[in-house]
Order: sequence, then C-alpha cells, then structure tokens
Amino acid sequence: MKKQLKYIISFCLGLVMVTSCKRELLSPIPQTFVIDLTAFETPARVANQVTGLYQTFKSGTFYGGRAQIAGDIRGEDFINETTNGVTGYDVWFLNATGTSQNFIKNLWAQAYQVINGCNIFIEGMAAKGTTVVGAALSSNYLAEARLLRAASYFKLLEHYARPYADGNGSKPGVPLRLTAIKEPGSSPMARNTVAEVYTQIIADLDFAEANLPLTYATATLNTTRAHRNTAIALKTRVFLAKQDYAKVITEANKIVAQNTAPFSATSGVAHALQANIVNVFRTPYTTTESILSMPMTSTGGDNPGTQNQLAYYWSRTPTGVGNGEFSLNTVSGIVTNTGWTATDARRSFNALVGTPPKLYLNTKYTVASPFTDWAPIIRYSEVLLNLAEALARTNAGVNVKALALLNAVRQRSDAATILAPLTQTDLINAILLERRIEFLGEGLRNFDIMRLLQTIPAKGTVAAKAASEPGYIWPISSDELSLNPLMTDN
Amino acid sequence: MRKQLLLLSCFVLLSIITLAQRTVTGKVTDDKGIPIPNVSVIVKGTTTGTTSKADGTYSLTVPANAKALIFSAVDMTTTEKAIGTQNEIDVSLRSEDKTLTEVVVTGYGTQRRREVSGNIATVKGSTLANKPVQSFEQALAGRATGVQISVPNGVLNTPPVFRIRGTNSISLSSYPLIVVDGVPSPTGDFSATSAAGNALASINPNDIESIDIAKDAAATAIYGSRAANGVVFITTKKGRSGKAKVSYNVSVSWTQPYGLPDVLNAQEYTDYKNMAAANNPGINSTNPATSGYTKFALATDASGKTIDTRWSDYVYRTGFSHDHNINVSGGNDATTYYFSAGFSDQEGILIRNDFIRKNILFNVESKVNSWFTVGGKIAYSNEKNLAANSSGSLPGEGFATAGLGRIPLVTSPNVAPYNNDGSYNITANNVVGPMNNSLAQVGFYNPVVVLDLNRQNSEANHIQSHVFAQIKPVKWLTLRTLYGVDYLLVDNESFLNPIHGDGFSATGSASSTLGKNKRWTWTNTAQFDNSFSGKHNVSLLVGNEQDRRTSEGFGLNRQTLSDPAFTVIQAGWVTPNTSGLAFGENYLLSYFGRATYDFNKKYFLSGNIRRDEYSAFADKAATFWGASAAWEIAKENFWDKSGLSNIFNNFRLRGSYGKVGNTAGIGDFVIYSSYGSGLYGGLPTLQFNNAGNSGLQWETSTKIDVGVNFSMFKDRLQIEATRYYNDIKDLILNVPQAPSTGVPNAIPLNVGTMYNKGFEFSIIGNPFRGKNFSWTSTLNVTTNKNEVTSLAPGLSEILTSTSGLETVSRTAVGFSLGYLWLVRNGGVDPTTGRRILLNKAGQQVLYSFYQNTGAGIYNWINPDGTRYSEPGQAVGVGVTQAKDGVMFGNTIPKVYGGWDNTFRFKDFDLNVLLTYQFGFWVYYGTWAGLHDQRFWNNHRDVLGAWSKPGDVTTVPKPMYGDNVSNGSALPMSYNAFKGDFVKVKNITLAYNIPAKLANKAKFASARIFVGGQNLAIITDYPGPDPEVSSNGNGNTNQGIDRNTIANGRNFVIGLNVTFQ
Repeated sequence: MKKQLKYIISFCLGLVMVTSCKRELLSPIPQTFVIDLTAFETPARVANQVTGLYQTFKSGTFYGGRAQIAGDIRGEDFINETTNGVTGYDVWFLNATGTSQNFIKNLWAQAYQVINGCNIFIEGMAAKGTTVVGAALSSNYLAEARLLRAASYFKLLEHYARPYADGNGSKPGVPLRLTAIKEPGSSPMARNTVAEVYTQIIADLDFAEANLPLTYATATLNTTRAHRNTAIALKTRVFLAKQDYAKVITEANKIVAQNTAPFSATSGVAHALQANIVNVFRTPYTTTESILSMPMTSTGGDNPGTQNQLAYYWSRTPTGVGNGEFSLNTVSGIVTNTGWTATDARRSFNALVGTPPKLYLNTKYTVASPFTDWAPIIRYSEVLLNLAEALARTNAGVNVKALALLNAVRQRSDAATILAPLTQTDLINAILLERRIEFLGEGLRNFDIMRLLQTIPAKGTVAAKAASEPGYIWPISSDELSLNPLMTDN
Repeated sequence: MRKQLLLLSCFVLLSIITLAQRTVTGKVTDDKGIPIPNVSVIVKGTTTGTTSKADGTYSLTVPANAKALIFSAVDMTTTEKAIGTQNEIDVSLRSEDKTLTEVVVTGYGTQRRREVSGNIATVKGSTLANKPVQSFEQALAGRATGVQISVPNGVLNTPPVFRIRGTNSISLSSYPLIVVDGVPSPTGDFSATSAAGNALASINPNDIESIDIAKDAAATAIYGSRAANGVVFITTKKGRSGKAKVSYNVSVSWTQPYGLPDVLNAQEYTDYKNMAAANNPGINSTNPATSGYTKFALATDASGKTIDTRWSDYVYRTGFSHDHNINVSGGNDATTYYFSAGFSDQEGILIRNDFIRKNILFNVESKVNSWFTVGGKIAYSNEKNLAANSSGSLPGEGFATAGLGRIPLVTSPNVAPYNNDGSYNITANNVVGPMNNSLAQVGFYNPVVVLDLNRQNSEANHIQSHVFAQIKPVKWLTLRTLYGVDYLLVDNESFLNPIHGDGFSATGSASSTLGKNKRWTWTNTAQFDNSFSGKHNVSLLVGNEQDRRTSEGFGLNRQTLSDPAFTVIQAGWVTPNTSGLAFGENYLLSYFGRATYDFNKKYFLSGNIRRDEYSAFADKAATFWGASAAWEIAKENFWDKSGLSNIFNNFRLRGSYGKVGNTAGIGDFVIYSSYGSGLYGGLPTLQFNNAGNSGLQWETSTKIDVGVNFSMFKDRLQIEATRYYNDIKDLILNVPQAPSTGVPNAIPLNVGTMYNKGFEFSIIGNPFRGKNFSWTSTLNVTTNKNEVTSLAPGLSEILTSTSGLETVSRTAVGFSLGYLWLVRNGGVDPTTGRRILLNKAGQQVLYSFYQNTGAGIYNWINPDGTRYSEPGQAVGVGVTQAKDGVMFGNTIPKVYGGWDNTFRFKDFDLNVLLTYQFGFWVYYGTWAGLHDQRFWNNHRDVLGAWSKPGDVTTVPKPMYGDNVSNGSALPMSYNAFKGDFVKVKNITLAYNIPAKLANKAKFASARIFVGGQNLAIITDYPGPDPEVSSNGNGNTNQGIDRNTIANGRNFVIGLNVTFQ
C-alpha cells in the first residue's frame, strides 16, 4: 500500500509537471500602448496621432520653450545670470559646441522627431488612415502634418545653416528627410542646400494653406491647431527669411486686407491686434492675435518640463516666478531704448524683481510652476511687421502702408507715440526696433539678426560676433556627426 | 531494488553457512587522536558493516575469510585496513581535502566539490557575516577569483558593480543572475528616490550559509538564457539535527568620510577669485555696468569672526550603526529548522542617509518518511532606505544641482549656511546667499536647508519564500517540486521643501509611488543517480521551470503646497499629477537537463542543456548548453609510481565549453514598434515613441574554460589556474540612429561582438600550521582583456554620457568598453599661462577663455616654437572633442583580485583582506570641477597656478568664468588618472573565549571582535577613491568619478555568542 502510495504521488507530480505550463503567458498583449500595426485603425486613433504630432512639436526642448529661449539668448537683449551650462550659458556666450546637450543636441533631435513623426503619419494615412477617416478630414490632417514639418525645418535652418542671404541658399542646409523611418539603416544622409530645404518648406506650407480648414469650432483650437491663416502667417516669416519681400507682401495681404488701421484678417480666423497686449499672454491665451501658440496645462507631460519654461528663464521669484536665468541687458539691450516710453504697455513686461540684488527681468510670462504659460509661436502683430518691412524694403521712401502697420503695433501699446521716420532706412530700422520691443522674450531676435547677416552685438562679457566668424551659427550635433557618416559640421 | 534485496539475503545466508566468524573491535580517531563517531566500517567485498559509536569505538562480527575492513566517513579519506589475526584494529583517519569534499550548489542540485568539472567558486557565509555592509555582495570583493566587486559610492545600500570575468554586455545588464535557495532574485536599485535601494539587501548576510559562483558555460548553462553573466547561488542557513542552538550576534560600527578634497579656505578663495576676475578683461572693461559684479569679499559672523565655512562639515558625519541578529536552529532526525531575526540600523557618512532593516527567516525541512520530504522557507524583510536629498552619486545624478557630493566642493567658503540672525542664508533665486560677495551667485543650494527639510525615502517589503516536496519512489530516483515567490513591494516617498532646493520653483513637491514587483517560480525536477560496479557513477537530471514576473507601479506627485507647514502628500496641494507609472509582465518557460558521469572519481564528464522560451521575443525559443570534462591525474597509477604523489596530493585538469545567453534588462515589449499616449493642451494624443525589432534574439556567449588545480605538500599549497575566453555574439545593441532620422529611441539589434579573456589564478597556502599559531593565505588574481570586435554596420562608436551631460566614454571596435575619449592636455604654456591642448595631429594649441577682439580663443604654437602673441593675432582653429578627441585609456581593470590572510594565535584570530585593481584609468571629473573658474571653490593646488612668465605649473592662469581650461566644458586628459590601487578592505581581530570560560557563563561559545573596512588605500589617484563609479553598473560608462561620494572608512566592534 505504502509503495503504491508513493507511486501514485510520483505519478501525480509528473502529471502536474507536464501540464502546469501556461503557454498563453508567452504572448502577452501590451496594455499601455498601441502597437504600430493598429495605430491607424480607428478615427479616434488617427485624430490622437494628429494631436500627437503637435505634442512632439511643443516639447519643452522645441517650440514649447527652448526654441524661443535660444532665439532670444543668442541676441544682445539678455544677460546670463547663472552660468549654468544646462540653461544656455554656452548658447548665450556664443561658444556652444556640438556636444552641448541641452540646446544644440536636443533641439536638433526634437525637430527631426517631429519631422519623422509627420512623415510616418503622412505614409500611414496613405496606407490606411485616409480610408478610415475619409478624404476631407484626411486632407486637413495631412495639411497640419506638413505645416508642422515645415515649421520644424525652418527652425533647423535658423540655427544650423547659414542664412539664406549668405549665397542665396547655396550653403549647406540640413538633411531633408521626407520618408517615414521606423527601422534601422537610414542614418547616412548628406545635407541638402539651404535653398532645397526652403523649397520644401514652401511646398509644405502651400499644401497646408490649400488643405487646412478655415477655422475650428473654438478659440482654443484656432490658437493651438493650424488653420489656413496659420500657414499664410508662417509663409510671411519664411519669405522674410528668404528676403523674398514680394512674396511676403503677397502672403500677408491675404490676411491683412486693409490699407489703414485697424488691420485684421477678413477670411478664416479673424486675426486682429488686441487692445491690450497684456491680454495676449494671459489666460485663456486664445485671443485672435495669437495665430499659433503651444497650449500648456498643469498635468504632467502637458507643460514644458524642468528648465525648459519661458517663465523659468526670464522671470524670478519672489515678485515674479521662475529662476531668473537671464536678466534684461540694461547696458546695450533694447530696454535702454529711449524711444520706448515708460508708459508703453510693453514696458509692463519688464520689472525689477527679486530681493537684493534685484534684477531687471522680463515678466511677460507669469504662471508659477509648472509654468503653464502658453508658448507663443506666431502672432498677428508679427504678420503686420513682416508686411511692413517687406513694403518698406521694396518701396522707396517712407511707404505709407508700412508706416501705418508699424504705428498700429506701436500705438496699440503706446497710444501717445506716433512714429515718423523720415527715410526708407529709418523706416526699416524703426520696424526692426519695433520687433525687438514687441517680441522680447518670444524668441525672434536671433532670427532677425541672422536673416540680415548682421553682427551679433556684444553683451556683458561676450564679444560681438560677425557673420563671418565661427560660432555665428550653431555647430552640428555631435551625435549626428558620429552616426551620420555623410554629415558635415558647420 | 528487489534484486539487491535478494543479493543481500544471499550474502547473509552465505555468512551463516560459513559459520566461521569472529568479532573485531577497535577505535576510530582522527590524526589528533580525537574519536570520530558515525564512521562506517565495512568488511571489504561485502555489505556487512557497522558504524562507530560516540566514543569512536566499534565492534563488528566478521567472517573468517574477511581480508580487510574499509573505514569511511564524511570529510575523511576512506581507509582500508587489512585484517590479520588480530582482533583489535584501531585506525586513524586523515581528513580529506576539504575543498574537494564540500558540497557545491550547481543549480537544481548539489555536487561534491571533487565531482564538479565546471568552474564554481565558493565563498563561505561566515566570511561575509558581521561586516558593516547592507548587502552581502558588498563584502564579496576580493574573496573569489574572477569576481570583481566595486562599491560605486558611499551612499548606503547602493548596488555594487558586480562583474564575473569582465563586462559581458553592452546594452543589457552585466549583473550576474542571483539565485536564492533555488528562486531567482531581483537585482539592482529598486528605489525611485535619491536613497539607494539594492534589492539584494533583503538577504541578511548573517543568514547566508554559502555563496557559490558559477563562472563557466558548464556550470552556468543549466540557467540557459540568463547565464551569460555568471550565476550566483545563495544558500541560506538550515538547521542541523541536535539540541536547539541559539546564537546572538551584535555589532556596532562607526563610518567616517575620508580623503575629501582639500579646498581653498575663505581668505584664499576670496583672493584667488578676485585675481581670476582681474585676469578677465571682459569682466571689467567690456561691460562697466557689471564691473561691481566681480568683487569677492569676506564676511563676518554674529560674533565678528571672519566666516570660513568648511561645507563638508555640514554634509558629512560620522555615522553610527548597530546590528543585531538572533537565530535558533536545531531539530531531530526527521525535522530540522533554522529561525533567524535581524535588525540593522545604519547611518551613512552623508547626513540623514540611513538604512534600517528588519528581517525574519525561517527554514524548515521534514522527512515525513523514508521516501518523502517536505520543507520550505519564509523570509520577510523590511528595509528603509532614507535620505534627505540627492547625493549626486547614483547613476544619472552626477550633475544634480542638489548633489551633496559636489556642493561642499563648489560653494564659496566665505559665506555661511546661516545669516547672522540665525535664518538660512539663501537668496530669492534659490541659491546660497552671496553675503559680502557682490556676485549674485557663489554656490548652488545651501545644503543645510535641504538636509534639514527634504525627504527622499524608499521602503521595501520583500518576501522571498518557497515550499518544496521531494519524493524518492526508488533509491535511484528523486522527484522534487519547488514553488517559490519573490514579492518586492517598494514604497517611495519624497518631499522637497518650498523654501529652497529642488522643490523651490514648484513651491514644494511631494511624491509617493508604489512599485510592485512580483515573481513566482515553479520548478519540477527528476534526478536519477546510480552507480554501476562501484566505479561508473551516473547522475541525470531533467526538469522544467516556469518563471513569471509582473511589475506594476503607480503614484502621485503633488506640487505647490497650500500651507508651508505641510510636508506630506496627503496634505493640501495645488497640482496633482501621476508619478511612477509602470506596467510590465514576462514569462519564461524552460526545460532543462544535466548528465554527469565519473569513472572511479578519476574521469569526470558533465553536460547541461536548457531550452528557454521567453515572452519578450517574437521567436521565443532557443537552446543553450555546456559541457565539461575533468581528469584527476593524481588517481592514476603512473602518478603514484612517478613519486609525484609525494608532492602533489591531487592534480586535476579540466575544461569546459558551451553556449549561454543573456536577457537581463531587456524590455518586456521590446519587439514592438509602438505609439504612446500623452496630452496636447488637455487633448489625448498618440505619438510614435518606440521603434522595435520583431526579430530580436538572445545575446549569446560562447565560453571556453581550461584549467588545472592541484594541491601540494598535503594540501599545504593549493593552486588553481584557469584560462577563460568568453566570446559574445549577437550582442543586443540599442543602436542609436542618427538624430536626423527622427527615430525617438535606439533600436535594439543583435549586431555586435565582443570578447572577454584572461587568466584566473588562486593560491591557498598554509605557511604555518602549528598548534598555537597558524597562517592561511589566499591570493587570487584575475586578468581581463575586453575588446569590442564589431558594432552595428555603420556604427563606428557608442558614446555614453555621464548623467546626460558629459561624454568621455567611447566604445569602439578594437578597444575595451567605455574607453576614455579625451582631448589631450599639453600642460600650461610657461610664457602665457594658457592651457595647451593637443589637436588630433598632436599640434599644440593655446586656449584662452577671454577673447580679445580679433584674437582667437584658440591660438597655435608654430612648429618653430614661436607662438602668437596676445592680443591681435590670427584666429586658430578651435579644438573640439569630436575633432580632436583621442582614445586615451581603458577603464576596465586589467588585473584585479584580493589577498586574504587569516592568522590564528591560540584563541585569537586575525583576518586581513587586501583588494586591488590594476591597469586602468579613471576620469576624475570632480577634478575638473575643482579647477573650474566660475564662482566654484577650487582645490588648494590652484595656489600654485601660473602667475608670471616662466612659471612651470599644471594649473593655468586663472581667468574668471573659465570652464574650458579645466575640462568642465571640454573633456580633457588633465582629469584622467591611473586608478591602480591596493586597499586594506577589511581587518577583523577576534578573540574566541575559551570553552571553559564560556561554559561558566552558560555560553556554548563566545567571540569578541573588532575590525574595520576601507582602512587604507595605496594609490596615486588624487581623488578619495578610484573604485567609485558615477554610473553604477553601466557597461559603457564605467570608470568615471564625477561628483561622487567616496566610500566611508569603517570601524566595527561586535560579539557573537551561542547558547546550547
């Protein structure tokens, strides 16, 4: 009996051994993400992918913060306060290297992540998505993807390539990648010329203009999603960079219908200047002046993230918010401009803050951690000034409409001042000056210096940098040079 | 069975028939004359026999024709005595070579040391007990050949860098598989806060019976796809039959920081920085508005004394620790048990860095009857890993603003932590207050505030338990089933105060997350053992195993306190967010087998095979195997005849070969290209965030191991020498794509190849073996040569950063992993005091931080020796790391090991362990910081900086703001140093209270000991400790010392008593 018992138990044990395996556990189904094969299967997934492209675009390392910050700190209007390499000390010092992680490498990588995301989306729509959402919606979505791709290439050109003006776009641009990459093996690619990249940017924006919806249902969507006027507004900036002033005028006129103030867009979203510029930067951030802004919320991941936030760089506690990484240059910065009157509403964005030593800081952005100020990308006042400059440059003397546009921007904030330049040059300079005042802290200063091949003026302990000097544009990311054998450095 | 019974009956019958028999008596003793009980005494050629009694005597009736008696006992050399005519036969047995008879854990079973033909090193638990460590591996350094242990920083409970025979992976983990009592254990740091939380700290080192470290393919192949980094078997203590034994161990210890860099005092700092500011024309001349900005000035405290702050005094301390362990063990013939409870409360050298462990272990085993055994283990441990703030020493923290390793080195000594009114000296923009310096910033955070107010805690509840049943239906078959669980539940809790530090900009931040890491393992084995004609010994094991792991994490982060008095997450806050979300699952299904055979304990063969199916791969199954052979030459007749046996008492040749795999650290869903969810202004998003590889396969290692071990002069000298070669194929490389591809992640590909090869050599000697005095000395030496032989097509290098900022580690074909990649330093130009850099071509280039208009930052020294004079000369081409960096030096030690000495004098014993590593470079990034000419405080050697033409020095002319000449912004060989060291790792002096005395005090035994760890280090390395690593267990960025807290020096005193 005993012997039988042990054989029975042994047999049972053997049986358990053979039958206990749970083979189904070998093929777990992912619970927390969507796998590639099914990403275009439902209209909701496709819609989420579109917002996903914007999310990548608004990363704090890109248009959610650092793209604008880099645009400002390369110029002369800000002084570095913390000598912190992570928060742009070397960028400000104009001696950033290709191994500089936080600006040179990350901005490069993030821009291309947007570009590849757009390419993946465009191909996925062709393969599947268009049949899921229908042709009409599909062309809207594709237009949004192409606009984001264009804006990303445009930012890359600004920092990593010689300005268009240097050799009419014949200098090395950036690799123009237009196909989806989801597999290894695509790293090698040479730089296209600046002109080739511009051609693509313009083609994308033309497509976007033709296929984007005129408006969305809400003011929020009109500010945070691209619509037809967004494409047009961006084109005025792109053509300005190309110094193709005639095209700037053509494009701007589509959304600046009037010859005298007040100016506004008469089709699509009704863009117009706000009576009080301060409101543009205050909740809900969705005035018709903001053509495209990156929305932020306090939910984790939906804001710029640590050390990427505009307010964190420009402002500082206790009277402001943030860390005061950069102060306003009170020696040679725009704040020293005597024509910029104390009563100008835009002066309210500058304040002496902090406990001693107090610093003169830009306080355009005001929301404390997690710093959910929306990051502005393009405003209607820029379109007006883009048009003004193009008119001023292409018409001898003081162009009347250009002056009207300039004064529209000035008098919105400083009603008492009427600018009256006497010559064409004065007019152009007044417009350029107005841009520095109007967009201080919005990241346009570097763009304005570069497109005109101007010398980057000296500031603080940093010497001036002529357009011919090394360091005038950024070096190429060392990762790119390491992994892309066809890449060349600046 | 039945046949044997029949045979036995025949013998008995035969014995009776012969009738002619007599009785032989005698006594069995050891070589010192002490009686040995339980010795088996058998009439040669029969099964007739008996065993010796407690006093060593025996009595046996033998047939008249009996020729000899055979005496055998555990750990004793089997001895044959001829029966002449005498009726009394006394015998003295010699103890066998212990190392050959000890039991070695081989995975799903045990073997005697001499039967093992694979390469397994054994470390006794007793050598790890009572050490002031948090986990057993920390005490393992230098104890076993082939095993390299480095404790990477002085933060308590940090997982050591644990390598067996080199670094065996690039993108996966190189940590060995740890198997605790048959159940694989999680490894690594499970803390999500700035306190380190090594999963293996749950095992109280005092509860470990032995550690067996399987190194070659033959020994590890039974673990198949997880074996490539070696397998470490931990066996916890079991009870022994006999009266219950109670032991109590207590120790107290003190840990101090040592070797802290010598920085400038307040006066020196003030003078030096003012000089540096004056040397930078940019500061005073180009921007008059900021000219006031350069003044450094001393300040006085409330009593009027000049402030001269040693910031390290506010960060470090002498930590006090105490450790208690009590255990009860015993049992009877059927059931044995071991029960243990431990409490350890340790303080680290960093203020508020504590480790508190409470643990309980219960092992029980019961023989229900002759064929059925059940048993199990319950182990529960609660560990609190406490810290106030980031140490800056754990992987990824190297440049943390709050990092406590760097703060005392950086902060100006002419400011104090407190204002004269007693308030914290902090500014509104969240840095330490500048006091009389007119610079806005002279330090990062004030460490006193964050050490007072912040919390970074992690608490682990770890359950490691199993139950098993074993059946022997027939003598030669053992069936065994074991079901084990390993639940590691980790509560992370942090609070960052709103006043100062990392919580400042968020107006306070708190996080609480829970990580649940669960595993169950079910193993079923059948073992066949048989011996044919007494010479052919065969053993066969087959089994299957399931290993299921799930991980889940979730938590909350809240920011912006609604009331400054609150500190816990449950209080009032403004912003809620998720934190610590994690979800993973995997499943490993395996079948395995092992066959071993030996002929007369002379020729040994073994083979292991395992087929693994793993859920993380698309093509799920693969087979791994290993085989080995050994030849005990000393058992050959010719050996005896040659007379060699007089010198060598054993001599063995062995070799093994096999193929094993590695999956450690691979993602659960790595095969999928996928889209992740996020938000865009509150709207849901889906974004392409991972490019997967559906064809991904195991990393495989082909391991060859050839060796010899022999003992000489009756075991007085034991030598083991091994040549190993590990060829790793299909390395899983997370291959980075050019950033312009826009692929968001490095794609895992099976592409690279690499090898590790070297020698292992150990020598155990007993130079003195007297009655009162003995000396045992063990020297082990391991050499390692690592070389990457191929990377992915088109991938010429893998650059690995330290904490995402500084890249000095480059992995390239033809070099060892993580080679230093630096711009060469050419010294300091005596004429100008400028740093000389060497460009790729070796030309000297002078660097100047300040650039006069028209003059370059970089100026060349002409081949004829003339140099551009400053200012106003032509612009030199800039030196960059990408263009001018060279492969400077290896970071993997070429030689490492330990020298362990035990001296016994009467009732005293003294253990001295030296560890060493030779032949490697360390990038001492901290050194760059110590010479940074921003506001940072500097090493005192800057006082010898260049000041006038003709000065020959290593420190260039200081120029305020310069962060290039020192290597902060341009990684430079100036900061690379040879790391060679010899450490007095451990000394323990113990006094064993004589039994008579102990018995009087009702103790069975008692032992008092004093000792210390990290007592001295012999090295040319200028930092505190060349053994530290800023990147922890990182494969491709080792050998970096960047703002890392060094290991503490430790003194311990303790007592062990046993009651019986």
